Amino acid sequence: MENFFVNIAGLIRDLIAGFGLNETLVYLAMVIVKFVAVLVFVLLNVVVLVYMERRVAGFFQERLGPNRVGPQGTLQLVMDIFKLLSKEDIVPAGADKFVYKAAAYAIFVPTILVYMVIPFGKGMNVIDLNLGLFYILAISSVTTMIIFMAGWGSRNKYSLVGGMRAIAQMVSYEIPYVFSFLGVIMLTGSLKMSTIVEAQQGVWFIVLQPIAFIVFLIAGNAEINRGPFDLPEGEQELVAGYHTEYTAGRFAMFYMAEYANLLAMAAIGATVFLGGWQGPWLPGWLWFFIKMYALVFGQMWVRWTFPRIRVDHLMHLNWKVLLPVSLANIVVTGIGIKVYQMVRMMGWW
Amino acid sequence: MNGQGLIKGLSVTIKHFFSPKITELYPEVKPKLPESVKADFDLDREKCIACGICANACPNKVITIETEKDENNKRRLKRYEMNMQYCLFCGLCAESCPTKAIITKQNFELAAYSRENTKRLLYQADKAPASETEPGAKE
Amino acid sequence: MAISNQESGFRTQEFVLNMGPQHPSTHGVYRAILTMDGEYVVDVENVVGYLHRGMEKIAEDRTYTQFIPYTDRMDYLAGILNNWGFVMTVEKAMGIEVPERAEYIRVITGELQRIASHLVMVASMALDLNGYTPWMYAFYDREKILDLFEMICGSRLTTSFMRVGGVPNDIPEGFIPKLEKFLAELPGRADDFDNVITGNEIFVGRTKGVGVLDAEAALSFGLTGPNLRASGVNFDLRKAQPYSVYDRFDFEVPLGENGDSFDRYNLRMLEIRQSARIIRQALDTIPEGDIMAKVPKVLKVPKGETYCHIEGSKGLLGFYLVSDGGTKPYRLHLHSPSFVNLGAYPKMAKGTVLQDAIASLASIDIVLGEVDR
Repeated sequence: MENFFVNIAGLIRDLIAGFGLNETLVYLAMVIVKFVAVLVFVLLNVVVLVYMERRVAGFFQERLGPNRVGPQGTLQLVMDIFKLLSKEDIVPAGADKFVYKAAAYAIFVPTILVYMVIPFGKGMNVIDLNLGLFYILAISSVTTMIIFMAGWGSRNKYSLVGGMRAIAQMVSYEIPYVFSFLGVIMLTGSLKMSTIVEAQQGVWFIVLQPIAFIVFLIAGNAEINRGPFDLPEGEQELVAGYHTEYTAGRFAMFYMAEYANLLAMAAIGATVFLGGWQGPWLPGWLWFFIKMYALVFGQMWVRWTFPRIRVDHLMHLNWKVLLPVSLANIVVTGIGIKVYQMVRMMGWW
Repeated sequence: MNGQGLIKGLSVTIKHFFSPKITELYPEVKPKLPESVKADFDLDREKCIACGICANACPNKVITIETEKDENNKRRLKRYEMNMQYCLFCGLCAESCPTKAIITKQNFELAAYSRENTKRLLYQADKAPASETEPGAKE
Repeated sequence: MAISNQESGFRTQEFVLNMGPQHPSTHGVYRAILTMDGEYVVDVENVVGYLHRGMEKIAEDRTYTQFIPYTDRMDYLAGILNNWGFVMTVEKAMGIEVPERAEYIRVITGELQRIASHLVMVASMALDLNGYTPWMYAFYDREKILDLFEMICGSRLTTSFMRVGGVPNDIPEGFIPKLEKFLAELPGRADDFDNVITGNEIFVGRTKGVGVLDAEAALSFGLTGPNLRASGVNFDLRKAQPYSVYDRFDFEVPLGENGDSFDRYNLRMLEIRQSARIIRQALDTIPEGDIMAKVPKVLKVPKGETYCHIEGSKGLLGFYLVSDGGTKPYRLHLHSPSFVNLGAYPKMAKGTVLQDAIASLASIDIVLGEVDR
């Protein structure tokens, strides 16, 4: 079971190679196959996640959640998507049409690209970049732009305020978010995702870097605009924030992107702090899956418990708490590494 | 403070996560309403003396009542209709009835497809009795 | 506060944000015209009247009994209290003595209604701050109260429970055990609610010091009810001018200190517990007897003017009745607490951020059916 998916990839590679293509073309074809596989994986998971969110929210609130469409309501999202696609697609008269439309398509791109370097199991990533973690950080920060495009293009005051909030929030929280990874990078000395996972053979980084993990959870939650940091959407203040004006299929894109982002965040967390595919007995990809969904459940738990934070408190939390804490964590990690090296060198341990 | 409140909140929500759920599976499991509920009305034609007090008691002129004189020059009910779309369900008609001829029922599913069907004919001298013309049944 | 334009040398512009009449957190069809400077609210203008149904005019064309169902529809979250205020006015004008058992039933149902109304307030306050889960918890408890109303009144929301001279139904079988069960569960549920939201740092941070009204300002705006008491003014009609049988019960009037949104919210949580205390005492001491006084079939109020008020769930609920001696009111004026309380909103919201403005609005606890009537 361990190499189930790797073996399938090998089979497909052999099949393509059987057409008599040269090495480069086979490599390219394999990248495309893997890309499609990841795309399917993400979309399927979005379906599961939306269902899970609604059920989990229901359970927290002492109700059942969707349980009518299909067995136990499992087909609810399918129906929702069909409903959304069949609705009238409205572009507001005063909107900046190109920006407005482009934002809806672009919102999914960075999200999908993040998945390219995530190791779903041993040897199960599309590309194992040397700069994997750096790539993730760089790509995910593009989302800010697209959200502002949506807010600006809609030409709606609520959307605009939502877009401005998104920029302020996501740019600020990027800093502690990046810093939370620095401790891990110092420990492994690599940005490569597979190396980071392998470095957690003995002990997960959540044990060595608990503070960084907490900072990551908070900043990551703010990065993907989920409660209690869902200010850019802020239903009670801004109706629906940056996607107030979006309808039908375009709204579905934003809706699905939100959940794809959530899953991406959980996948990064599982890889960097929870030991990725490492784990006893079960196959690696299943371990990864379990860890990822545990993180997702945690995020949902937090979302359905806490009220929304205020704009100025959001900034206070970032600049006055998270940033100093994550900086201190880096210093302590640096000292710790040196002390450890000295201890080893002196032969005390 | 300092995060204790947050942790406490999380513990409460997870407690409720595993507690029994309260959702009523409505169309399959119909709620049993107490007897005092006045969601629908019926007329006991034997008791009705066609006095018209109910029509006067109604705040919203829901009840239309038509009477005729019979051979003994006594008033008799000819037609009794309730226009349910204006009904406030206050129950003043049933309360004011001197012979308690208006019966309150617990059938709350009064939705109808067209405005016509919201009218409830509870009695007409030469027509089928009331309870067979349930609203929404025709559509 | 925001950096002013001169300081930064950066040219910005104020914009007008039209909040409502359709907006997730205006609690109905209320509209506020906000002048915004980025996130900051510079000016607020109240616009009401979207739910105006002409209740006062309707009253002129209805008999006294017939108007009772309409009072439900004013403050539709506290129908019984509205009924009570109206029938008390008519009883006062006609000089009717209400039987003691009826008064006790009125107190029990009235306090239950107050709990239900306060539960909606704390729930929607949580919801306006994006606390979906506590909202559900409070509505679950309210649902229990509505089930009780269903047993005794026959309706859940628009109860039309009171009649001039008493109450229409006696306590039915099975009502008391169910009420006892509810009262036994309530403290635990309220503690759960407190743990989720009242003690939550995010919630406290968002409501403490937001929308502050000191006692003087609250009085000058004519605020009544929990909103006034949150500013530290001890004024509760149940204590100050005991009507019905309230002088027989032992209860406290909780008071706030700062008059901010948190106090207004927390006061409701405390009042819920006090109301439960009153119900418990009323259940223990309820006498046997009639539930209706001897009243004529056709109500004729003697010529003259009557004013009567009760402590509604939102504040002082007053009815001013002018009669020409006929079967219908010549003129009926309603003093609705929500309308008066809403007047203080621009002062609360000015100079805060948008989110604070929302929190302040939620803390006033307006019901648009009553604001517009």
